[in-house]
Amino acid sequence: MIRFHAFPYPAFKADHMSTDSTTAPVSKPVLSQAELLYEAQQRQTRNFRRNVSLSWGILLLILLYLFSGQSFLGIRTIRLDFEFIRENIGFIAEGIPQTLLVSFLSITLATFLALLAALGRLSTIPPLYALSTFYVSLIRGTPLYLQIFFFFLALPQLGIILSGLFAGVIALGLNYGAYMSEIFRAGLASVGKGQREAAIALGMTPWQTMKRIVLPQALRFAIPPIGNDFIAMTKDSALVSATGFVHEVMWRATRVGRAQFHNLEALIIAALFYWMMTIILSYVQGIIEARLARGDR
Amino acid sequence: MKKLYHVMIVAVLASLVLSACGAASTPAPKDLMEAVKQRGYILVSTDPNYEPQSFLNTEGSRPSETKCPADALTTAEMQGFDVDVAKAVGDSLGVETCFATPAWEVITAGNWADKWDVSVGSMTVTTARQQILDFSVPYYYTPAVVAVRADSGLTDLAGLEGQALCVGSATTYDQWLNHDMEGLGLPASSIYAEAPNVTVVPLETDQECAQAINSGREDFIGYVTSETVVDANIAAGFPVVKLGSPVFSEDLAAAFDKSSSLPTDSLRAEVDKLFTDMHSDGRLSELSMKWFELDLTQDPN
Repeated sequence: MIRFHAFPYPAFKADHMSTDSTTAPVSKPVLSQAELLYEAQQRQTRNFRRNVSLSWGILLLILLYLFSGQSFLGIRTIRLDFEFIRENIGFIAEGIPQTLLVSFLSITLATFLALLAALGRLSTIPPLYALSTFYVSLIRGTPLYLQIFFFFLALPQLGIILSGLFAGVIALGLNYGAYMSEIFRAGLASVGKGQREAAIALGMTPWQTMKRIVLPQALRFAIPPIGNDFIAMTKDSALVSATGFVHEVMWRATRVGRAQFHNLEALIIAALFYWMMTIILSYVQGIIEARLARGDR
Repeated sequence: MKKLYHVMIVAVLASLVLSACGAASTPAPKDLMEAVKQRGYILVSTDPNYEPQSFLNTEGSRPSETKCPADALTTAEMQGFDVDVAKAVGDSLGVETCFATPAWEVITAGNWADKWDVSVGSMTVTTARQQILDFSVPYYYTPAVVAVRADSGLTDLAGLEGQALCVGSATTYDQWLNHDMEGLGLPASSIYAEAPNVTVVPLETDQECAQAINSGREDFIGYVTSETVVDANIAAGFPVVKLGSPVFSEDLAAAFDKSSSLPTDSLRAEVDKLFTDMHSDGRLSELSMKWFELDLTQDPN
């Protein structure tokens, strides 16, 4: 997004007006070169935003038209059964809370695991370092789809019978935790060495240094990417439907779609909901990011 | 001091592992039937991908007083022939019927880990499955047919040689096409035709096969599935026709897990008795007429 700071101009304007008002007639406000430039920039920003919105609208209309089933100048479009969509959209929408629940539980677990893995990665104790790198390597080296089935099918043999929901949450949490550990590692590494040295000089223990000095600063770097991963996770949570026990958006879409031979329509409904969820979540993430950036000039 | 927080990390990890393992189980009843009656509901697995056998009732909503676990569906949320038969099982035991909806491969793979009690999901009795599952007496029989694209011009099985056919993965149709007669394990009298030599395209369910043809894809010329599914496809306006008469007939029954932690014998005997009664008093025929508009409950052999 292009954004211009209003910063130096208002001060400039005030100075200028005060000296000018004594000599020039007051009939028409005289604008300085700087003010004109500032207004032109503002106008440009407004125009840019308006044209972007307009183009978005046009792209949306083209997308809608592509699914209208109409034929225009020999260009065929995709025909959908709107009766089916009308009848089943509500049923599929009921899966949204489940999708968000799975994503929320998983991201919580993932954040926790990622922090542990990152600390392990920075540790000087060989077993901890090994545990962390082994975990990240194993999880990043195997498909998420497979991991979800693994926790669902393998753990019962150890006497641990997890519901489909928790098997899915553990798989998603472990998977994202492995990827997110890199985010935390970067966050922890971004805190300057001088900060730690200063903390030690003040007599803090390593634990206190971590808790009071390093983590608060590292987390500020880590939160925007976590939001990003949360948005990605709402979509990957669709894989949890594979075991059949979590009745979230994707599960509902495939079941009604298959039984009534309308997979395409059902999947398009699901796509619409996932898209809407990510738009809303991206917006929320934008607000959080702006807030965190405030203290960081 | 630096070691202190490493020790804490290890402690947290260890407690996580331990808490996962430490889930205590309640004192076990003597068999599955007793367990079902104690908890007041029977958990039946069925695959809601098939209309009219088993599919979701999108209008129905979960009753507030249900005993069903949170990730199971109630009788209000499901419908179909299998669902009605399952309800009859629950009713005869005097308990509520609840539905678990695992993926089909997960049901047929056995080792259910007590996640559900019984499968009433139009499962074909095969020798391979009998290694890991115990079956009740059959509650109905379906003929398997080959369906081909209406514009293919084919009239008999011989014309299929060298073509590609689609099936639902891990189904009996998959086994028949792959000439796995041992795995299929049907009596010779139930098999009416030998499978042609074709390229087998296994998709997640046979519904994907039918929809692929309907959407204009040409990866295969047809598919093998039960006659009821093909009838439903044709009724939905799909451009397919049945190729000749049925190729084999399947006995469909309720299934129990051999690796169940509780003995299933008494529950199986109860279900056997119920199905036999429902065959003789015509209740099964009635349900078959209701959902298929034809009686599939008579043994074709």
